[in-house]
Amino acid sequence: MVQHIQKFYEQLKDEGIIFSFSGPVSQSLLEGIGETLRQKMTLEETSTSITQKVFSIFVELMQNVINYSAEKGAAGEDEQDLSFGILLIGKHDSHFYIKCGNYITQDQKRPLTKKLSTIQHMSKEELKKYYKEQRRKNAEKGSKGAGLGFIEMARKASQPIGFDFASAQDGRIFFVVNAVV
Amino acid sequence: MESFVREKTKSTPWINFDPNQNFLEIKGESYPEDSAKFYSPMLEWLEEFLRQATQSIQVDIELVYFNSSSSKILMNFFDLLEDTAQRGIHISVNWKYNKDNDIALECGEEFQEDLEHVVFHLIQVD
Repeated sequence: MVQHIQKFYEQLKDEGIIFSFSGPVSQSLLEGIGETLRQKMTLEETSTSITQKVFSIFVELMQNVINYSAEKGAAGEDEQDLSFGILLIGKHDSHFYIKCGNYITQDQKRPLTKKLSTIQHMSKEELKKYYKEQRRKNAEKGSKGAGLGFIEMARKASQPIGFDFASAQDGRIFFVVNAVV
Repeated sequence: MESFVREKTKSTPWINFDPNQNFLEIKGESYPEDSAKFYSPMLEWLEEFLRQATQSIQVDIELVYFNSSSSKILMNFFDLLEDTAQRGIHISVNWKYNKDNDIALECGEEFQEDLEHVVFHLIQVD
């Protein structure tokens, strides 16, 4: 048992993972992790600009899980259901990466693919224009945020936002996003 | 009209809208779970205040970080100010940013681009 956990822990460290979380995600958890993440990055003398970019992508990804994960667990009465997902933040060479995964429904796949492929090929200038255009639009049906999260991430990232899907046996789809700063 | 005040939390800013001084202040961070829900009382208050406004208005904003859904709220906030400035009320915005925080500066510049009648100052603070 202990060897297994140690192996897992060392494996995460070897991969440069600074922070990993798997389970129910809530706004208060996001606030706690976010604060620790900023402290750690400041301690390591990461520039304010890089810290802000990583923090920004982290918030958008976690709030996506909270709003859109198809894996929910019932919370207490009067409380919102908990949304499940996985988050990894690490450093590889001189770049930070943030990976996030959660289950989605079949219906979510197509709009996500469309949205993410559209922004993958945009330059920073095009992303800025697109962001401002989308901000003027009314929120899409079924969208709990402003629908700007992925564009925001792409503007903060130093490489195009990566994404992928894996089908599960029960028909759900596991959706992963990878952002590099 | 009564003041509109909200205490700062980890993910929401200090908000102090004082109708007697014609002074609106937002300071802190903004990434609530549901921005539309959190900010709708503020925008309602603002609409009412601006409808009655006859004197010039000072707005101070100092946001270290805000998420994309808060950005949409800020756009609506500036649209309301712009409409009011357009009908002749003088409105001056101080967008304050820390010298290390180029993202806050950039966000300020992007709001500034869309404002014609509101006087918008970018102010560096230490």
